[in-house]
Amino acid sequence: MKPSPLLILAALLVPVTSVALAASPAGIIKVRHQNFEGMGRAMKGLFDELRKPAPNFAVFKASATVLANSAPRIANHFPKGSGPESGLKTDALPAIWQKPGEFTAATNRLVGTTQALQAAVASGNVMQVSKAAGDVGGSCKNCHDTFRKPR
Amino acid sequence: MTATTDRAAPTTRLWDLPVRLVHWSFALLVPLLWWTAESGKLDLHKNLGLVMLALVAFRLLWGVVGSDTARFARFLEGPAAIRNYLAGLRSSDHAPVVGHNPLGGWSVIGLLTLLALQVSLGLFAQDTDGVKSGPLNYLVTWDTAKALSEAHEVGFNLILALVALHLAAIFYYRVMRREDLISPMVTGQRRFAVPVAAPRMAPLWRAAVCAMLAGGLAVWLSTGLALPWDKPPAAPPPPADYM
Ligand code: HEC
Ligand code: HEM
Repeated sequence: MKPSPLLILAALLVPVTSVALAASPAGIIKVRHQNFEGMGRAMKGLFDELRKPAPNFAVFKASATVLANSAPRIANHFPKGSGPESGLKTDALPAIWQKPGEFTAATNRLVGTTQALQAAVASGNVMQVSKAAGDVGGSCKNCHDTFRKPR
Repeated sequence: MTATTDRAAPTTRLWDLPVRLVHWSFALLVPLLWWTAESGKLDLHKNLGLVMLALVAFRLLWGVVGSDTARFARFLEGPAAIRNYLAGLRSSDHAPVVGHNPLGGWSVIGLLTLLALQVSLGLFAQDTDGVKSGPLNYLVTWDTAKALSEAHEVGFNLILALVALHLAAIFYYRVMRREDLISPMVTGQRRFAVPVAAPRMAPLWRAAVCAMLAGGLAVWLSTGLALPWDKPPAAPPPPADYM
């Protein structure tokens, strides 16, 4: 059966519109907030588990995986136009686009510490997990201190 | 006239030492807590917050077993008493109020309630980096803690509003009624033009017992409600400079 031109047009339009939606500042900000919230939850899961006398390493592993997967995504979550100038609700500071080198370095630092966290979890040593978790927290704070609106 | 600057008038002991100490600590701690939170010194913020918690707990106990002028039962009055007091303010001669007046008493309750609410919310508040959250944060989910952190933020603004009202009232008495409310809160003494019944002062050992109870509560909360037979956590919390 020969596909109707209308169907072809529709098939072409679906991905185009969905990309356009995701590429709109509102869509970008939504996706990046979800990514950060996921990391926030993972950090809470990690530290709540560290409080326990006999922590479950499966929980450490799940949190470390979320963190290591989410961290590199930050690099694509701040295209030009998705800052406060969009008029949308965001805590992103203009410094992100004024000092792109430092922002990339802050992202890379998080990518590095989350990978180190995965390695610490794999080692099976609680003290190493604790230290690596603190380093991840330090990487979050490092970026927030300069690139996020203070609350 | 309720009060007088007349040097010949006898002085009356109005506020005991615990009430004054707690009062001026509140005045110092509220700005400090704001500053430490805004500048991201969360460790200091949590420690000072726990001191605040102990002070609030102490003041609540002291409101039950403390000196006359500290007791809630002595200064909390209904709408009729408030109306009478306000009417009395307009006439020149009305009986002096020794301690909180019927309206001021409610402002004390308002402030103490807000402070108690604020320290309770702080216990659950969430540091976005997940590292320096309040000591009871682990008891609730991420979403609940997020809502409680937002309430902790709103709570501070409510405290500011009541503090502003409190300062405005002191200013009103000073300027419009020529009554100095500040010195008595420093020295504990006040002169009244007419003889008044001296309030009964509670013994200091009682304050010491209350302080120990309040301090113990704060320490216990800071451990996240740990019990003596609990096993210690697998890992110590990250150091203050976890960066
Ligand atoms: C490279 C910089 C950077 C790093 C690293 C970083 N963040 Fe953020 N984070 C931001 C910025 C910028 C915002 C504000 C985003 C906005 O409001 O659009 C933010 C916002 C957030 C939010 C609030 C999201 C919302 O819904 O408003 C959370 C939660 C968060 N980050 C958690 C974390 C955690 C946890 C880590 C570490 C595991 C981390 N972040 C690491 C830059 C960073
Ligand atoms: C009356 C006492 C307190 C006052 C006036 C106070 C005030 C504040 C303020 C103004 C903020 C910043 C909110 C924001 O803008 O996000 C804050 C955040 C915070 N407070 Fe308190 N606080 C008090 C008690 C406590 C206590 C007892 C604790 C825990 C032990 C605590 C833990 C926290 C935490 C973890 C944050 C960071 C969460 C966030 O950023 O929202 N606070 N506090």
